[in-house]
Amino acid sequence: MTMTDSPPAADTALAATSPRVVGLFDALTTTDHKRIGRLWLRAGLLGLLAATLVGVVLTIENSNSSPDDVFGGVNNYFQYLSLHRFGLVLLVAAPLFVGLATVVVPMQVGATNIAFPRAAHGAVWLFMIGAVITVVSVLSGGGWGALDGVNGTERDAIALTLVGTGLVIVSLLAASVCVATTVVSLRTSGMNLMRVPLFAWSMLVATGVWLLTLPVALSNLVLVYFDLRGGPGTFGDAQGSDAIYSQIAWLVEQPQIYAFAIPVLGVLGTIAPVVAKRRHAQHVIAVALIGLFGLLSVGGWSQPWFQGSNYDEKFVFIVFGLFAAVPVLGSIGAAADTIVGRASAGDPDSDASAGGESGLAGLSSVHGLGAIGAALLLLAGTVAGLARVIQPWDLGDRTTVTSVMNLVLFSAVAAAIAGIWFWAPKIAGHELAVSTGRLVMLDIVAGAVLLGGADFVSGFLEAPAFGYRVVGSSASLMAEPSNQSLIEVLNVVGAIGAVLIALGVLGVFAAMAKAMRSSEVVDDNPYGGQTLEWTTSSPPPPGNFSEPPGRVVSEAPLLDTVNENGEEA
Amino acid sequence: MVATTGLPAPETTRPRSLLVGTMFSCAAAFMFFCGVIGVYILKRAEARGEGAEWFPEGAVELGPSGFIFWTLVLSVFTVQWAVQAINADDRVNAYVALALTGLFGAAIFNQMWFIINDTGFALAADNAQFLFFVVNGTFIVFLIAAVVFVALTTVRALAGQFGPRRAEAVSSAAVAWNTVVFMWAVVYYLIYITK
Repeated sequence: MTMTDSPPAADTALAATSPRVVGLFDALTTTDHKRIGRLWLRAGLLGLLAATLVGVVLTIENSNSSPDDVFGGVNNYFQYLSLHRFGLVLLVAAPLFVGLATVVVPMQVGATNIAFPRAAHGAVWLFMIGAVITVVSVLSGGGWGALDGVNGTERDAIALTLVGTGLVIVSLLAASVCVATTVVSLRTSGMNLMRVPLFAWSMLVATGVWLLTLPVALSNLVLVYFDLRGGPGTFGDAQGSDAIYSQIAWLVEQPQIYAFAIPVLGVLGTIAPVVAKRRHAQHVIAVALIGLFGLLSVGGWSQPWFQGSNYDEKFVFIVFGLFAAVPVLGSIGAAADTIVGRASAGDPDSDASAGGESGLAGLSSVHGLGAIGAALLLLAGTVAGLARVIQPWDLGDRTTVTSVMNLVLFSAVAAAIAGIWFWAPKIAGHELAVSTGRLVMLDIVAGAVLLGGADFVSGFLEAPAFGYRVVGSSASLMAEPSNQSLIEVLNVVGAIGAVLIALGVLGVFAAMAKAMRSSEVVDDNPYGGQTLEWTTSSPPPPGNFSEPPGRVVSEAPLLDTVNENGEEA
Repeated sequence: MVATTGLPAPETTRPRSLLVGTMFSCAAAFMFFCGVIGVYILKRAEARGEGAEWFPEGAVELGPSGFIFWTLVLSVFTVQWAVQAINADDRVNAYVALALTGLFGAAIFNQMWFIINDTGFALAADNAQFLFFVVNGTFIVFLIAAVVFVALTTVRALAGQFGPRRAEAVSSAAVAWNTVVFMWAVVYYLIYITK
């Protein structure tokens, strides 16, 4: 860490001389946060494409009433299911937000670069190496345990999966340090933490929670790895079970799963005022709600080693589950107040008096649709999580768990894609197609509702969390549910949802390919953004700003009129 | 008072990047450590709850681990001495203090090596011996990281990169070092004193 720090003067000098060269050499040597962020985003989008395609096959397999086995055995099904789950968290949601943050956050806080740019760059390549090792090892018979027994080769492959997962977590931790340090220590003059844009604030909260919880997951992996590699055999339990998966499943279950969706509230809080063309009506409350949501998403403690196998019956787990929906609902309310309340507020910052388009009309923009859709998905996810902790319903081992995961993670995906559309002029110097974007957003949100909704209802029909095909093949798991035919219908609905999501993801790639061929000049601030990233050109120059930003006096600097002494006029 | 009313507000002084980044990294490292220690405590409680012996009688001795503890206590003084010296622009004292801190680190590594060999434990024997290795191994990894941090800081100090207005790296090294010392205090109590 020490050697990767660059003093501000060096950053400025680098920014002034950095050539606009693209290619492999540039990708390997750059310290420009925008290029590093684009690497994260490409990796995250590739992961998303792979995860959604695997998800389609998994749901089709689940919806198939005949005993055809696409995966060639219950163990392979288990491996792909766990790859899909961990992949959506560690290889999709987290890198997409890290990528967005790496590009956007330094500009939002008025910095010339991200803190520790070489560490940030090293992190993205470490992530790619870890991701490749993880995926290849799972394809080679590894994974997070084995249901049908472990031979020597599989033991090596499982150990390799643990190494790959560990590298991915280390890379996310390194990137988190860079993003969090940028927000804390590189803010421009006048920007106290209450004036930090909500996306940057949400990334500070998210990376803070990741820094406190992902190391616990890493310690789990280390214990299991050394146990597999010559330990007493009580931690890895690789003789044929899902023990490894069960131990680290807290990463993809509530409350920890919410930690990967904290930036959803930041994206909503940043885009809502832009859509409404006025200041955020409840900025301070939104800051507090994001912090509260972060607090309720700390999940390293809710694991079998610390709490026993009935950890989801513990008081704290129930309290976290009951209250997680509150900050999400509050954030949506604050955004609604900003958007809907504009016409009656008489806000001098508003365009209403000047005859500008209404806030509700702005909702039809891709970023508006995406931000609202993502927030509603997150609300649905936290409500499903609330249902899970109601003990008489006994939904802990049912598909309700999968429902929470899918709703929350696809809310994160929808918010990240909304962010990509919104900040595309700053990320790549292009605007992405609006018509394609609307279809993408509708596809992903509708698909997630079908997928998560079907799992949620199936949970009440006693469908087990691993899917009924596994139940039919493994006597050690739950008994087959009585209302299987209805569950099969719901599985078909879920499969349709997965296909819709996959189509939406393909739409993202189509829109990006189209934009790359475009030579259209993009405005510096095409949507009326209110934060500092919109003061610079599209794409931004090396060093981000041709002149240092002036003293900031509010959370929406572009709506402020400031005199030369830095005083608000 | 009158003379200053027309002046613009002073620039906000932000926390320094390296120090902030080091604190975040130390927090993450400490949470990793807590993850391992938490499992140690719970498995030990399980074993004792069943009436089983945790470590074999006399296998884990207090003496050598106490030497490590007191060496680390000394190193806390030397690393803070380095911070104070660099802030006072007293380079000679800063070099001596940083070098002593690194030397203490090397001595602790040597003592850890002795302890691990002295116990005669095997990784695969049982939970107690396995966790003994994992907890001490975790400490050794973070100790090595802290020694490397201090060594790099010393090299940069020798190159004249630090002074009263740029003492951030030395302070950061001190934060990392003190975190490792705190980790050992926890290990010392849990493994060597209460066993």
